[in-house]
Amino acid sequence: MEINKIIESGLMETYVMGIATEEEVKKVLSLKKEYPAFKDALEQLEYDMELLAQSMGIEPPAGTLAKIEHGINEIQRQNQSVQTAFNPEYSSDKTQPDNRQEKYIEVESESNQMHVNKAWKWVFIAVFVLGKIFLACAIYFYLENRQVKEQIKELKIEIKQKIR
Amino acid sequence: MLLGYINGIVQDPKKSEDHLIAILTSFVKDVVVLPEKSRLNIWLELRQYAQSKLTLYTAKSHQSNLDQSIHNGKLDLLDDLQKKIFCAVYYHGKSIQYLAATIGCDESEIRNQLKLSIDKMRRASGN
Repeated sequence: MEINKIIESGLMETYVMGIATEEEVKKVLSLKKEYPAFKDALEQLEYDMELLAQSMGIEPPAGTLAKIEHGINEIQRQNQSVQTAFNPEYSSDKTQPDNRQEKYIEVESESNQMHVNKAWKWVFIAVFVLGKIFLACAIYFYLENRQVKEQIKELKIEIKQKIR
Repeated sequence: MLLGYINGIVQDPKKSEDHLIAILTSFVKDVVVLPEKSRLNIWLELRQYAQSKLTLYTAKSHQSNLDQSIHNGKLDLLDDLQKKIFCAVYYHGKSIQYLAATIGCDESEIRNQLKLSIDKMRRASGN
């Protein structure tokens, strides 16, 4: 039969391996719709390829899952914070739901604000406090220096008077 | 499963683990998995996504990796040419045309060898 010939041609294999050309993909999809035998054979091949991948699998080292979980949670947290930041904007525009996405992009692109990691808050506080300390030190040493200069001046006058 | 696939491309367990974490987290971010998709489709999509993320890596090391024999279960059932073709397609996403040009045989032969290698491994699994 014609369909068995196609099944044996290697077309399904190139499709499942992800290297089929656009033309071949179209052909596979139309054959899948048209012939149940082709559909079954393709699904069986996909299943077998998964089993094959399982047999070539490697056990991830301990801690990998936790790292992946942490990464995904981080992304979800970022998404949530972005959504909450822009939700008020959306809720005021209930009459035009189709424009929501466009509006979001526009607000993003024209925004002149910058998102900074929360950890920087403590760095800024430290810089501010250090700045104040340096300013206080500078004033203190300036006054001290002025006082010393005046004392030196007085001493010089005193010495001059004694010499005379 | 994905780690085994990535290791087939990267050939370094530590780097493979790093890539696995990066690929899975970016997959969650970039790809919307529709509920109607079966588990099989998700695996195929994930594999192709991983391959696309490692394109630069594979493009650089493709030649050296091709000649390495990967002692990985069912791959040992294949002869050298079949292993070369299967690994180039499966791990590096090389096209039939590319392989025909580099190996020096016609496209139908490459297609046939690819099918034979998959059939061999499927038969070994009892399918």
